[in-house]
Amino acid sequence: MQGAGESPGPRDERPAPDLPPRLSFTALLDGFFFVFAGAAAVWLAWLLFQQSFEFGWWGIAFFVVFWLVLAYLVLPRLHRILTTIYVPDYFIGRTRTSDGLLGDPVNIAFDGPEASVHAAMRAAGWTRADDITLASSWRIVTSTLRRRSYDEAPVSPLFLFGRQQDFAYQQEVEGNPARRHHVRFWRTPDGWLLPGGLRVDWLAAGTFDRAVGFSLFTLQVTHKIDADIDIERDHIVASLTGADVGVRVRVLHDFSTGYHSRNGGGDTIRTDGDLPVVDVRAARVTDAAASVVGEATP
Amino acid sequence: MTAATGPDLPVGKRTAFEPPARLAEHEPLQRRMRRPAATSFGSVLVVLRAIAGAIWLAAVVLNWSAVEREFDLQLGGAAEAAASDVARSVVLLIGGTVLLIDLVLAVLIWFGSNWARITVMLFATINISVAAIDSFTGDTEVTIRTTFLTVAIDILILLALSSRDARAWARLRRHGRHAAASHPRRPVRDDPEDAPGTAS
Repeated sequence: MQGAGESPGPRDERPAPDLPPRLSFTALLDGFFFVFAGAAAVWLAWLLFQQSFEFGWWGIAFFVVFWLVLAYLVLPRLHRILTTIYVPDYFIGRTRTSDGLLGDPVNIAFDGPEASVHAAMRAAGWTRADDITLASSWRIVTSTLRRRSYDEAPVSPLFLFGRQQDFAYQQEVEGNPARRHHVRFWRTPDGWLLPGGLRVDWLAAGTFDRAVGFSLFTLQVTHKIDADIDIERDHIVASLTGADVGVRVRVLHDFSTGYHSRNGGGDTIRTDGDLPVVDVRAARVTDAAASVVGEATP
Repeated sequence: MTAATGPDLPVGKRTAFEPPARLAEHEPLQRRMRRPAATSFGSVLVVLRAIAGAIWLAAVVLNWSAVEREFDLQLGGAAEAAASDVARSVVLLIGGTVLLIDLVLAVLIWFGSNWARITVMLFATINISVAAIDSFTGDTEVTIRTTFLTVAIDILILLALSSRDARAWARLRRHGRHAAASHPRRPVRDDPEDAPGTAS
């Protein structure tokens, strides 16, 4: 009997189901250690929690260590394990945090070479964010505590296509490092099309940091973002069109359905689902913009 | 005949979850990568564990008579003193060798050895499992007065060295030598040696 499953059809032309590449013994061992360390870390947190009842006032110090271990070691590892399995690993219009949680939505697309993106963003009054290093991390801590300006402050890593952002731009507000506009950029993979079939060169996620605060979601201290991310998106587009560098904008209306959700820090977000595509190919490339090209491109 | 593949269902349905084997997948190799904080942290913790071990070993050797009493090692007779000296030397030798190996592994991890990383994680796993089994069966409770510190260091070592960054970097160092040679180094601030805080 010639069953439908045996007949040559579109299904048979699909590539073989993607198994992880080169699953070696040490890789399996690594996977085991990754999960085992997560379980061991839960036990460590529990031990610390127990100790915090043993030593009177010193117990408070143990409790602080317990919180640090829980928020910065245990939960990220557990999130990482669970999101690796449960969060789909294809484009759903959302970036992911380093723990794999859904992060800021992708809300702008760009067309044009990297130098033009840099030129347009600079002309529109944006400052490129530093990469995260020990020095820049220390500087963001001190400038936050002293309320001093740090306009090139690094932004936290978010992931799209399995990659950290290629670069990020920001605008500080009122010289306060806790409040800033910022937008992260990812180059799309070669030949990659947006859902719907449009080819764009860059995807970007722009949000407005309104304060530094405690996240009840991850228990970490993070930037809180403004819930109405469409305001930030429109601000970015308006700054680019206002800069008179010849950018053209077309809007993909209802690219995603409008939705309410939360980002990786537990802040609410809402959007109408429009996706502006900014064409920066006409932007004049200055020497300054050309000099930063290549620092981020993979 | 499979039900899920009619002509009107050309494409199989994707499962609701990703295969758990993804946890064991190789990280995509990145060309520009500094020594991640997790690797440095893990390597420093291994050194700390060795220092703690050295202090413990010194305490054992210096209070040898007390240790003998505790473990009831008195042999009696004329050979007692000689046997006790031999036992002390053996403990010192074995303990010192283990500590030395620990230090060498820490240095290898710092410079990106993958097998050293895996070896250290394997022994940390064994130590943690033994402590956990002891604790759950009620033999030795893990408190700050007993083994809490060593167990905590082992868990932190395991967490740091099993992290994705540490894994990717160790594999990059192993696989990436000729790959890195075929890509000319970028001249600007991406050079890992130029990065602040990573000077070795």
